[in-house]
Amino acid sequence: MNIFRRMNRAGNKKPEPEMRPAAPEEQDVKPELSHTLNEFKDCADLVHQSLPDKGVHFIFIGHLIGLEAFAREITVPFENASPDDIAQVLGRSQYREIGDSKTLIKDILDGSVAIFHDGRAYAINLCKPETRSIQQSETEAVINGPHDSFNESAITNLSLIRRRVKSAQLKIARLEVGEVTKTEVYVLYIVGIANMEYVNEMSRRIQNIEVDAVHDGNMLVQIIDDQPNSVFPLFPTTERVDSAVSRLTAGRILVVMDGSPSVISAPASFFEFFSSPDDYYQRWMLGTGLRILRFAALIVTITFTALYVAVTTFHYEMIPEDLLLTLTESRSKVPFPPIYEALLMELTIELLREAGARLPTKIGQTIGIVGGIVIGQAAVQAGLTSNILIIAVASSAIASFVIPSYVMSASIRLIRFGLIIMSGMLGVLGLMMSLALIIIHLSGLTSLKSSYLTPVAPNKLSDWKDIFVRAPFWMLRTRPTQSKSPNKVKNKMRE
Amino acid sequence: MKEKLHHFHVAILIYMIQNGVIIMSLPRLVAQNFGYNGWIALIGLSLVATLNIFLISLVHRFGGGRSIFKLFEDVLPQFLLYPLYAFLTCIWALTGCLVAKNYVYIFQILSYNTTNAIYLMLLIAVLVFLFVIKGIYNLSKATTAFFWLSQWMILLLLFYFKDFEWARMTPFLFAGETHILEGGLSVFSAFLGYELYLLLIPYVDNYKKTMKAVMIGNLLTTFAYVAISIICFGFYSFEQLKHMAYPVLDLLSYIQLPFIERIESLLFGFLVFTTIITTGLYMWSAKETMHRILPKAGEKLLAFLIIGAALAVSWIPDTLSKVQQWLQFLSYSEIAVAFVLPLLLLAILLVRKGARP
Amino acid sequence: MGKIKPLAAAALIALLAGCGDQRVLESLAFVNATSYDLVQDKEDGAKENLLICIDVPKSDPEGKMKREVLSTVARSKKDAHLQLAKQTELMLVSGQLRSSLFGLSIARSGIWNYVRALVRDPSISQNVKVAVVNGNAGELLAKRYPEHPMTGQYIDRLLEKEADKMSVPRVTVYDFTRDFYDDGIDAVAPILKQGKKNIEVNGIALFDQDRYITRIEPDQMPIFALLRQNVKNGELSIDIKKSGEEAEQIMINSIVSRRKVKVRRGENGNFIVNIHFRVMGTLREYLGDLDMSDDRHRRELEKRVTASLLKDADAMVAMLRKHNVDSLGIGKRVRNSMSYKEWSKTDWNAVYPKLDIKVTGEMIIKDFGKVY
Repeated sequence: MNIFRRMNRAGNKKPEPEMRPAAPEEQDVKPELSHTLNEFKDCADLVHQSLPDKGVHFIFIGHLIGLEAFAREITVPFENASPDDIAQVLGRSQYREIGDSKTLIKDILDGSVAIFHDGRAYAINLCKPETRSIQQSETEAVINGPHDSFNESAITNLSLIRRRVKSAQLKIARLEVGEVTKTEVYVLYIVGIANMEYVNEMSRRIQNIEVDAVHDGNMLVQIIDDQPNSVFPLFPTTERVDSAVSRLTAGRILVVMDGSPSVISAPASFFEFFSSPDDYYQRWMLGTGLRILRFAALIVTITFTALYVAVTTFHYEMIPEDLLLTLTESRSKVPFPPIYEALLMELTIELLREAGARLPTKIGQTIGIVGGIVIGQAAVQAGLTSNILIIAVASSAIASFVIPSYVMSASIRLIRFGLIIMSGMLGVLGLMMSLALIIIHLSGLTSLKSSYLTPVAPNKLSDWKDIFVRAPFWMLRTRPTQSKSPNKVKNKMRE
Repeated sequence: MKEKLHHFHVAILIYMIQNGVIIMSLPRLVAQNFGYNGWIALIGLSLVATLNIFLISLVHRFGGGRSIFKLFEDVLPQFLLYPLYAFLTCIWALTGCLVAKNYVYIFQILSYNTTNAIYLMLLIAVLVFLFVIKGIYNLSKATTAFFWLSQWMILLLLFYFKDFEWARMTPFLFAGETHILEGGLSVFSAFLGYELYLLLIPYVDNYKKTMKAVMIGNLLTTFAYVAISIICFGFYSFEQLKHMAYPVLDLLSYIQLPFIERIESLLFGFLVFTTIITTGLYMWSAKETMHRILPKAGEKLLAFLIIGAALAVSWIPDTLSKVQQWLQFLSYSEIAVAFVLPLLLLAILLVRKGARP
Repeated sequence: MGKIKPLAAAALIALLAGCGDQRVLESLAFVNATSYDLVQDKEDGAKENLLICIDVPKSDPEGKMKREVLSTVARSKKDAHLQLAKQTELMLVSGQLRSSLFGLSIARSGIWNYVRALVRDPSISQNVKVAVVNGNAGELLAKRYPEHPMTGQYIDRLLEKEADKMSVPRVTVYDFTRDFYDDGIDAVAPILKQGKKNIEVNGIALFDQDRYITRIEPDQMPIFALLRQNVKNGELSIDIKKSGEEAEQIMINSIVSRRKVKVRRGENGNFIVNIHFRVMGTLREYLGDLDMSDDRHRRELEKRVTASLLKDADAMVAMLRKHNVDSLGIGKRVRNSMSYKEWSKTDWNAVYPKLDIKVTGEMIIKDFGKVY
């Protein structure tokens, strides 16, 4: 437990829980009622209530405040108190006395009620804004397992995580992002499991952001990752509480952003994008099957159409005799070279997908089915494409949706176009060269300065059993090496 | 790039540098030069390579992990140093480039017969450039990924058991027409690549583990070579083997799968990975050496210049046999480098050791 | 940032390259089968010209013409290809070649030049089947078989099936080349014959080097298979005639046999070769007076079958030796029992006819079907 204690100290030392970039020269302005009201001039949603007989003023933003709490903490005590007791009431611990105006204004914006009495200002946080209720995630649905998912409120999200990690070692550092929006960003990690270097690096990156606004976790990811120019997402985001928590206990760190249901986890490897919580909720053989299926899907989606183009353009000898005639027959009516044919179909599928994604679910489905069948069928009959290409394109499109991470699957679909073009230009050699290019690119990527290809390069065979297959739980004794956890063994964990 | 190379990666790196297109013609070379059951000679050659590796590891050990350039620079005057470095740069850059050219030319037997090879070479050069500028640590990462992506092909050897016949191997050993010495040299060039261990010294830590790793890499190469040669000797008749330019290419074309057949061009395509690695690592070595002469030049610029220059020079040999002649010549000099360089370094170390106390 | 420039360069280069070497599927004419014959020159009767026929399957959606046969008479193979290419609007490619047929005329004068051309061409598969046609190969290929619209495919599948049944060896370019170069075995090839409405396998051609010497008759093909290789899934049909009685007819299938060749030295230094085969199979048909459910009777039948097989085998070995073709690969075994020095001094063609070759064997009936 020696390590533990040491990590504890280190953890408490570094990222201060409250790190507000406050301008020092304005810090000393005493909070005054008139000044505060002046600051909020023209803000229609500001509420100013007063009890003139008792000399108390309340200022708050109406829609941020929970009514029940307001009644309990403001209405009841102040209405019932005699003018002399007011000071006593304000002496209670929930009313914080605020020394400077800047802080007070920020508190009001955060959902506090500011109380002015006798030249002093107090604040009490009664924030309870309207949020979406906890619902099922639509982008990351699972069949088994918990169905709750994050919503747009960071408080709710933190509570969802906290409810599952009942440990004081789960530390939450609060940071702020956005010069205008002042969005709250929380960095979560478990002291003693997470490597503090990652935590510090992540906090540093978030603090260094200088941008007016960040609107979503997926946007934040692109600002803080190692290689903004890469096609591949370097940190996964998830809306699922269980997968976020599993990453936390694996020694990774989470970044929760207010206003976004997407929780970022880091560091990550390329292969992590191919696992889904479902794998763990099924028997291990099924889980393993699913993992293998997904990597097969990766290969199919990357190479299928490209291989079709390469073979029909350059390597006719690879086609078995039985397939040859069917293939030539269906190609013989097509007026373009295979590469245009393939690009046309791939583009159509992308159009269908994009159209389906934007439209309401019911119409979207119709678009998908009707568009798919009609365009597929009609294109073949009109002699625009060969039906074997339709099969190749369709199966590689389906395979791309097998990849659980939407961002990753989109990246891979994009890459595919490059591969198709290279195959059309140079056949199999072009295909292989583009694969080589992808690998060279991947091997140069880092995620929080750790290798993006982790269990493969650097080679950690012990991690393979939780990446390419899903070994039974008794075999999964250690945390992934990528998280460089000071506490490597899972089942020795004690609080 | 402070991270040290793990010995596992060193082993794979060495294996992947050694492996290359030469494997396509290796069984024939062995049959031509060592006669019946010539594959046994591979084991002997592998032992020679092991000895050489041991020699290099002595440099590693007595040099205390310092890079060979530092060792040279401590002793040799500049007017000796620069020609040496220039020579090494040339050898390495050209070897790298011609390995790639050899690959392209052999591929052109299969397809793209009339495409100007310079386009293909340029493409490979771009890839190699992107590969080289990533630094040795990422280089080794990419190599490991390439390793897993290409070496499953060894399993394809299982396809040939049906037509394999021990009787074709004959009990004769090194009988028939043989060219032990000359052929030994040309077959030994298949093992080259381990000598780059010299340049890896500053990037690895423990000399014992590294030596072991390099030897394991060499062993893996030997295993792959021997396995493929045995299959060829039992799959083809001896005279036939001697008449096949690229027996392994034919071996690959023999595979038929229900949905795809004649996959030799596909499988040969996979060899672009090992080619990129071999070329890349030689280019990297050339770049490291060049960096000593021009310490102020940027790494990217150096890589660009070296690759460009090597590409230009490699343009001179314009037929496959000329490329192979050049490669032969280069591999002779490379063999000399592999033996002379560590001996020279050891001599330097000994002299310095003697001078100090 | 630094990555975008090289990538753009790569894309540009890729655009420039490659376009000239495209082999787009629909613009190709795939040669499926080729035949080679020697024909007499019309003007100069003593000269012989090459007749080459190729079979090109057509993918006509309307499905009337399933194939096209092109043929030409030329001085050499090279000429012929140029001639043939002129006859079609598509690009003639041989990457999908499946079988090459040699007429008896050309097989007699040696086919190595043509096979070597097949080996050299990298677009041609090593799995192209080699067969000899009893008669004119071009005619066999050009003829239309109403039941089998695609002749090339028909031939390929016929040979494939026969090879699976082990009645003829599977002979591809690879096999032929391998045995041609091997000094311990002589090459063989299946023989095809043109029927009225179909093509049939009509024996096995035996080569000395690349020259056709003689053949194994169709009814002897199973024996040849037993002597040459391990057989799996073969068939045997045997008539045992005894004097004064009616012939017993026996049909055995699902044969699994193992062949062993042993070579040892006799007292005076000559070689004694023993070929032993052990055949196991299922009795499928039996017309005779023995009762199969009786163990003794069955053993008796086994003995009779064995004797019959051995008789045929002995005759075959004698025939092979008479023609001095080592199609069974005995040379390989003899070679492997010698030192290299001795082998290189041995004139195998002189030694082979004088060898002491003994064939032994046994036949075991594994089961005899559902009749008791």
